[in-house]
Amino acid sequence: MIAPSANAALIEAKDLVRTYEVRQGMFGKATPVRAVDGINLTVMPGETLGVVGESGSGKSTLGRMLLGIDSPQEGETFFDGKPMPKLGTPEWRALRARMQLVYQDPLAALDRRLTVAEQIGEPLAIHKLVPKEHRAIRVAELMVSVGLRPDQADRYPHELSGGQRQRVVIARALASRPKLLVCDEPVSALDVSIQAQVVNMLRDLQEKNGIAMVFISHDLKVVRNMADRVAVMYLGRIVEEASSDVIFAAPLHPYTKALVSSVPVPGKPLKGRTILQGEPPNPANRPSGCAFHPRCPLATDICRTSVPHLRQVADGRTAACHLLAGADQPVAA
Amino acid sequence: MISDNLVELHGLTVAFDGVKVLHGIDLTVRRGEAIGLVGESGCGKSVTWLAALGLLPGKATVAGSVRVDGQEILGGPRTVLESVRGKRIAMIFQDPSSSLNPVICIGRQITEALVIHRALTGKAAKAEALRLMDMVGIPDARRRFDLFPHEFSGGQCQRLMIAMALAGEPDLLVADEPTTALDATIQAQILDLLIELRKETGMATIFISHDLGAVSQVCERACVMYAGRIVEQGTIAALFDNPRHPYTRGLFDAIPRLDGPRERLIPIPGTVPHPRDLPEGCAFSPRCSHAAADCRSGRPNLSAMDDGRLLSCFHPVGHPAGLMQAAESRIQEAVS
Repeated sequence: MIAPSANAALIEAKDLVRTYEVRQGMFGKATPVRAVDGINLTVMPGETLGVVGESGSGKSTLGRMLLGIDSPQEGETFFDGKPMPKLGTPEWRALRARMQLVYQDPLAALDRRLTVAEQIGEPLAIHKLVPKEHRAIRVAELMVSVGLRPDQADRYPHELSGGQRQRVVIARALASRPKLLVCDEPVSALDVSIQAQVVNMLRDLQEKNGIAMVFISHDLKVVRNMADRVAVMYLGRIVEEASSDVIFAAPLHPYTKALVSSVPVPGKPLKGRTILQGEPPNPANRPSGCAFHPRCPLATDICRTSVPHLRQVADGRTAACHLLAGADQPVAA
Repeated sequence: MISDNLVELHGLTVAFDGVKVLHGIDLTVRRGEAIGLVGESGCGKSVTWLAALGLLPGKATVAGSVRVDGQEILGGPRTVLESVRGKRIAMIFQDPSSSLNPVICIGRQITEALVIHRALTGKAAKAEALRLMDMVGIPDARRRFDLFPHEFSGGQCQRLMIAMALAGEPDLLVADEPTTALDATIQAQILDLLIELRKETGMATIFISHDLGAVSQVCERACVMYAGRIVEQGTIAALFDNPRHPYTRGLFDAIPRLDGPRERLIPIPGTVPHPRDLPEGCAFSPRCSHAAADCRSGRPNLSAMDDGRLLSCFHPVGHPAGLMQAAESRIQEAVS
């Protein structure tokens, strides 16, 4: 096997589209819903890409497609330069050891009748990575690396706190030494104090093991802290992408602006903040033109008729908005 | 004369199967004021109000005193409790879709509350329900009156829950993590709605949340709870500018920031202790970086500080009020 060159993307998604059929009632006509609608993205080895957006923006579907759990109707995913094998094939199963998923709800992701050690050891057995006699040592190592005590190995999930359960899930994901970790709202269910513990731990593990991460969350503050680059999704499309340092400090797309503005800052009043009217539209009933225009305070006629495409607006920044004229022209607030 | 105090909790304790989870809460809610309750999960924020309103299951032992306008409601007959619950004090919860009945249309659920609490019937009840739906910002209320909860989004379900809570024209709305399950932009809308409603109706609000940012926007005062006790209480300005309890400070430090440099987060080590095995002395001492020997043997009482806040800590962080004023006056002198 040829080692991939340093500047090759670990995972690359090209024009991914995922459509679900939604029925109105049992005998109603099925209408296609484009949950993910033409997404392009790349993640370099060791890099963290944050994906933010509201519920229904397609961020979880995107995460599943990146891992090949959900196959796209159009477009393709490349892992390490090779096309993603089909779901369920032996090649795909083998690849799963190198890419793992961490969900929001650890209690649902864990088997409540297996002990912590059994769960963490499972991927080692499935992928035949560590012979049985050495497995306990590797499990203990993994537990220590996520901040669990080895003496907790015989506990069951219900005997652990929420933060500890999420650590078990992360230890299990790390067992096969993956190159890519897709985290879907990994800390959203945790208290802020515990959240900080888990975020720090994820950052340490990533630095130590050079794992690339796709970090999906609706919590902008956590994403800013985790991610190198951030993609903002709205109704199945990326509307803005930039490094996490600039995107939150100087958002360009009106939707990103509204998202940043909606984060309550301790001690600051609500006044003067942009509060978006309305709700994210139903993906089955996508507005014409720019999908954001019904909620956009700056929408003009062109926004109602023509779909804006993602294009470069500044160095290393892309956005999909008609009102962003060319390079480095921020929208007038 | 009607007293200024709407609700007075005094020495409220709760035990489940003999395990004490709430160790004596004293809290006074004045008319029209908004108080935030913050703290990690399992610190007793919700239990305090579930106990006060008699909503805990039978195995819970509740003691102490809960007075509404001077009238004791704890342990009183059912009729007393029912005249308060939903009418004088309404409560909304985190997950609106599980609080609404999925097989009854929205209009009927709101009207039901009006029938019970305001004795409105027929056309009058429907008109009032529509007015409430308008008030909480449900667009096209008349057409959506007969829809079912699943036909509304999460944010709208929470608006409907608020409408139902307002049906009894309550003096106090207890909102238990009302925005936690909602998207960021919808969360901002609901916070805005709560602030507006309070302005319009003059009802007091208890805002239970782990989101300090949200609390600071809705409330004037906040109580920080830890392991079944209030550990610090004061105005938002006092708590946010100068937290004195190491736990309050820890909660602030743990929040990732959206501005400034990206630094490593500062978590609070460990977790909230289980009520069954609380540590000796101050319950926070095992997680506290300021803990000394006396913290592990004795428990500090919640006592008033010079700046008006209540604090229970032997070794507080931040600046004592006196020092702050002294420093300010020194700066004044130096400038002039």
